[in-house]
Amino acid sequence: MAAATSFSSEDKSSSRLSGLFSEPAREKLRLLRKRFKKTWAIYRHNRLGMLGLFILMGFILVAVFAPQVIQVCAWIGDWEIAYDPFYRDESVDDESPPSPEHWLGTDSMNRDLFTRIIYGARVSLLVGLVATAVSMGLGTAVGLLGGYWGGVKDEVLMRITDVFLVIPWLALMIVFAAVLPGGPSVTKIILVIGITGWSSTARIVRAQVFSVKERTFVERAKAIGAGDYHIVVKHIFPNVFPLMFANAILTIAISILSESTLSFIGLGPHSSEVVTWGNILENADNALAIQRGLYWWVAVPGLCIVGVVLAFTFIGNALDEVFNPRLRRR
Amino acid sequence: MANALRLMARKALNSFITILLVIVLNFVLFRAMPGSPMMNLRSNPALSESFKLKMIDEFGLDQPMYVQFIEYVKHVLTLDFGYSFINPLTPALDLIMDNMVWTLILVGASSIFMIVIGMTIGIISAWKRGSKFDTGSLAFSLFFYAMPTFWLAMMLIVIFAIELDWLPPNSALPYGERLELSWESFKGLLYHLTLPAISLTIGSIAAFSLIMRGSLIDVMTEDYITTAKAKGLSDANMLKHHAVPNAMLPMVALIAIDIAFVVGGAFQVEYVFDYPGVGWLAVDATFKHDYPVLECAFFIIALAVVLANLIADTLLVYMDPRIKEG
Repeated sequence: MAAATSFSSEDKSSSRLSGLFSEPAREKLRLLRKRFKKTWAIYRHNRLGMLGLFILMGFILVAVFAPQVIQVCAWIGDWEIAYDPFYRDESVDDESPPSPEHWLGTDSMNRDLFTRIIYGARVSLLVGLVATAVSMGLGTAVGLLGGYWGGVKDEVLMRITDVFLVIPWLALMIVFAAVLPGGPSVTKIILVIGITGWSSTARIVRAQVFSVKERTFVERAKAIGAGDYHIVVKHIFPNVFPLMFANAILTIAISILSESTLSFIGLGPHSSEVVTWGNILENADNALAIQRGLYWWVAVPGLCIVGVVLAFTFIGNALDEVFNPRLRRR
Repeated sequence: MANALRLMARKALNSFITILLVIVLNFVLFRAMPGSPMMNLRSNPALSESFKLKMIDEFGLDQPMYVQFIEYVKHVLTLDFGYSFINPLTPALDLIMDNMVWTLILVGASSIFMIVIGMTIGIISAWKRGSKFDTGSLAFSLFFYAMPTFWLAMMLIVIFAIELDWLPPNSALPYGERLELSWESFKGLLYHLTLPAISLTIGSIAAFSLIMRGSLIDVMTEDYITTAKAKGLSDANMLKHHAVPNAMLPMVALIAIDIAFVVGGAFQVEYVFDYPGVGWLAVDATFKHDYPVLECAFFIIALAVVLANLIADTLLVYMDPRIKEG
């Protein structure tokens, strides 16, 4: 999979792309597509992986088309209007039980819970994705540099990584959330999760770099006189990428769990501005929903979290098996 | 043996450096960062003048930053984090230590169960790989792994405390009672501890069963297992003498890392059950802006986890013949 082998004979399938891309770019594209096809061929046979993919697609569709989903539901349920997550329906009691007008009842501020849960998918997924991007960026940078440099610099980076790896994640996040300036907001929760969650990525990337950098194509690049930056970006990174990708998917799962936990404790964005599954559960806890038998209020958002996290876990594990042949059944 | 000692010295040094870095992180977050709690101490309206002066005097908060840092390290090494903002007469450490006992009881009791049950499930799964038990336990493990621990705790309260009314939904002891060395007190503790402990155990079992399964599957493809099979050893014999002992090595290493995961779960369980542990205290301190207590809780937790890791590493050195003799 080294990008160094990009000289091969003409290929019929790439000819229809000529004119659009330059020759090397077209070749790269062809290789990429070939690799994707091969990966997909293995992935398809992983049953849990496919299940995860389907569940995830469902949640993504609901998140993207949340307003349309609510409109369709309003039409089916013959509601007076299509609710939005912050609309207070004064015509019903607060904390009302499920009814034809409000499928999952209303919360303490007369807001429709079903609508809130549908919209909640948006922020929960968004926070999971962006926080993961932040921690992937940090972890990859630390892992690549530490692994490539080695020696004292690597030692320093690894000790810092250890701090973030060893300390219980929730303790770390609570402290960062308490001390970082600014009130609770989506940006802040993304930063808190991103800054605290990069350590295992750094470890994985570093280990992979160590095994890659001794290979001959890196030696060869060095011999030709390639600079450090070129070697890391063009030769080492592409070889580390697949495992990193699998790790990123699993990190999304953890980030979503982190978001819901922080929001539940009350360190997430406020429920009158942003709706996430975590702060729906926070509202429920504040209203003593379980003590008062309002079970649907707690059960449904929780099941949504489990569904999404499970989907990402299935996909991540399947990708891990695809990219890491040692894990496949022997 | 010299090899093992050198390795241990290195691990101990690493742990020490980790602790030092935690102190630096604490200092930066709580004291040196612009807008940090101690920087804003003078303008904090919730505190009395005499209390502020006491803190400034004790930690040298009117000195240059590097002097403050040296003062801080000195204080931290004697576990002195100053006084709680809410109870100005109580040292932060005292509050932490009172609650630490409860966290240790919860984590200790649950850990035993999660390690034993998790490993057993892992071993059977790996041994009967691809069987119904394996698929079932894998689905079970992943399902609970994907579940937020706080939500699991809430659901268990719904079932066992509210619907069935078997166990109490909150706290660590009957209301108003203190822990004593008596059978009655112990019964009360057990009665109140069961549900939190079950929540934490189920929430964390997967971490252990999945790792044990993976590590045993890895071992079972090794050549010496094939050899053992060829020798005609029985399944049980091979599992007991060849596979499991070798799979234990990565397991012990990962138990250490899992401590962090379990403590994270314990925080959530404490919060849901109003269980007076360190996690509950840390969350409470966050909302009351009681920074010395939060700072102290953070440091003590980090210290405890780093030490636990060091112990696991020591165990590992003594268990691994390659290190001992190599």
